[in-house]
Amino acid sequence: MPVKDRPDTRMWATGDSERAGTGAVKTTDLPIAVEIRHVTKTFERRERALTGEGVLRGLFHPRKGVLTALDDISFTIQPGEFVAYAGPNGAGKSTTMKLLCGMLMPGAGELSVLGLSPRRNRVRLMRRMGVLFGNRTELWWDHPVLQSFEWKRVVWDIPDAVYRENLAMVTELLDLSGLLHTFARELSLGQRMRADLALLLLHSPELVLLDEPTLGLDVVGKRQMIGFLKTLNREKGVTILVTSHDMDDLEEMAERVLMISEGKIVYDGSFDGLRRISGSLSRISLTMENGQPPAIEGARLLSARRGVYEFEVDLDQLPVQELLRRVSLLEEVRDVELGKAPIEEVIAGLYTEWKNPGPR
Amino acid sequence: MADKSSKNPKNAASRRTAHGLRSWIRRVGALFALYAKMDFAWLLRDTKTALIVIAAESISQIAGITGVFLIAWRFDGIGNMDRYEVLLLLGYATLLQGVYNFFFNGGNTGHLSRRIGRGQLEHMMIQPVPLGVQLVTDGFLPVSGNGGLIAGIVVTAVAVRHIGLAVTPAWLLLFAGQLLAGLAVLVGMLYLGSVAAFYQPVAAEEITSDIYNTAVRLSAFPLSDLSRGGQTLLLTAIPAGLLAWFPTLVLLGRPPLGLTAAFPFLFASVLALLTGVLMKKGWLHYAREGSARYSDVGHRR
Repeated sequence: MPVKDRPDTRMWATGDSERAGTGAVKTTDLPIAVEIRHVTKTFERRERALTGEGVLRGLFHPRKGVLTALDDISFTIQPGEFVAYAGPNGAGKSTTMKLLCGMLMPGAGELSVLGLSPRRNRVRLMRRMGVLFGNRTELWWDHPVLQSFEWKRVVWDIPDAVYRENLAMVTELLDLSGLLHTFARELSLGQRMRADLALLLLHSPELVLLDEPTLGLDVVGKRQMIGFLKTLNREKGVTILVTSHDMDDLEEMAERVLMISEGKIVYDGSFDGLRRISGSLSRISLTMENGQPPAIEGARLLSARRGVYEFEVDLDQLPVQELLRRVSLLEEVRDVELGKAPIEEVIAGLYTEWKNPGPR
Repeated sequence: MADKSSKNPKNAASRRTAHGLRSWIRRVGALFALYAKMDFAWLLRDTKTALIVIAAESISQIAGITGVFLIAWRFDGIGNMDRYEVLLLLGYATLLQGVYNFFFNGGNTGHLSRRIGRGQLEHMMIQPVPLGVQLVTDGFLPVSGNGGLIAGIVVTAVAVRHIGLAVTPAWLLLFAGQLLAGLAVLVGMLYLGSVAAFYQPVAAEEITSDIYNTAVRLSAFPLSDLSRGGQTLLLTAIPAGLLAWFPTLVLLGRPPLGLTAAFPFLFASVLALLTGVLMKKGWLHYAREGSARYSDVGHRR
């Protein structure tokens, strides 16, 4: 059951609804930007044997497994929203993106993007939306960046005035003036991502899908990318759906987060709501001189390795002052480390909790 | 009035069709012009290297056919073809390769199995252009791809002059038609093979290289002395004979096996139909199963 910190009307909003909350957008005249209804996507995976006998048997009776990438997911995104699509690796984020671009077909369910079917109306849709996969480039490798922009102008049939205006805008906001005549293959990763993002926006897309746009970027590159995307959403009203497994980046960009785990939408709401649900889970690691396992009341032992004991603590239940007091009472503690629980584990923990309700 | 109202929808429909066709031609023309400009930019950026590459390709194409020509020269022809008829065959085969390189060598457009096997079809999917139009226009290399074309024109012209063929507009039309049909057969073979990459992306990624090399090598041999069964095989199951040998004999006015000049067109049409059906099936498989393969350094078109 997905957890929502907002009214259900949002999940199944119709075109005449008006959204409340930050960045509210009237949707009276605009179609829903993205609508996914009960979509399931499975992949068949052949299981390979390592032994000669297994290989021979596999020739006649191949063993196949089914991987469920998306399991009956439903959500809507209204025009003008900036939505983060988060989840651990392999959760189904990229599969969703590919479905929205028409690259893949759902096994079951329906989806529409800007009121169009991605499979049936691919050409029309691609005039109105932009897609960027962080691990690949749409730039022409052996041509200057400006040549890729010119290529886009012709292929997308962008009117000259729109092209000139957008080119000036992205050149200024993404600080590209020094890169326009550089070959794409000579750009650094951060420069390439900026140029790719600029290329993506030249046709004034109404909807932008970004799959891991901050992948591999350094701190400066990330800040630049995030700032630009926020400006784009705020000032141009572009609907943005961005995936990442870096929650800090997502929280800085988006107002709403859709969380997916093992192919299911497990959370749909604000980041504050997510914090409230997940509690203040933290980790404390104790390195013991004598290698003996310590016991901390109110903390759950997660792992023990070479004298290092890691505990999970909910700081809402056990305030940090009390936790440290209890640790100070322990003998032979050589080192103490306190930190946040990794977000992927928080997500996995939440998912387990939602799947199997009950005390953890 | 009744007549008018029944006519108007038809007129409107035909106007829409004409407008759609004009708009389609304009788009395709714009795309060809774009890729020509980008290819020309390569020549201008490093003219010396570009000219060396074009000259080297021309020389290597001519060197590739020299062996067969020397045999024909030594034995005063091969089979029922004299030495200059063999030269015409070799020139025609080189020209076909040149035309292929001219239109389909850019960005692995001809070697479609590479695009499919490497998961690069996704770059095509995000462009607001029908996939068929992309395949026809993306590979256009009028500058960097013309080495074979130049060599083919020169060798063919020399052969035609020595044979003393009457180059009339009708003959040129026949020549162009046979060349077009041969190109359709070659691309059809490559695309038919590429369907395998939808199902086995890793194993079949380079299948078009094997098909291309086999077909092109076989096309430069005079098949006239081959048994009837062998000739039939090379005109149907492995249609390398349709790439140069058959059209050369058509141009010389003596098509083999009692066939006519229309045979390559018929064969190309059937091949296109079969390839289209299988390509659609493969494409659906791809949309259902996807392709997890991708080179992380990005796509080189």
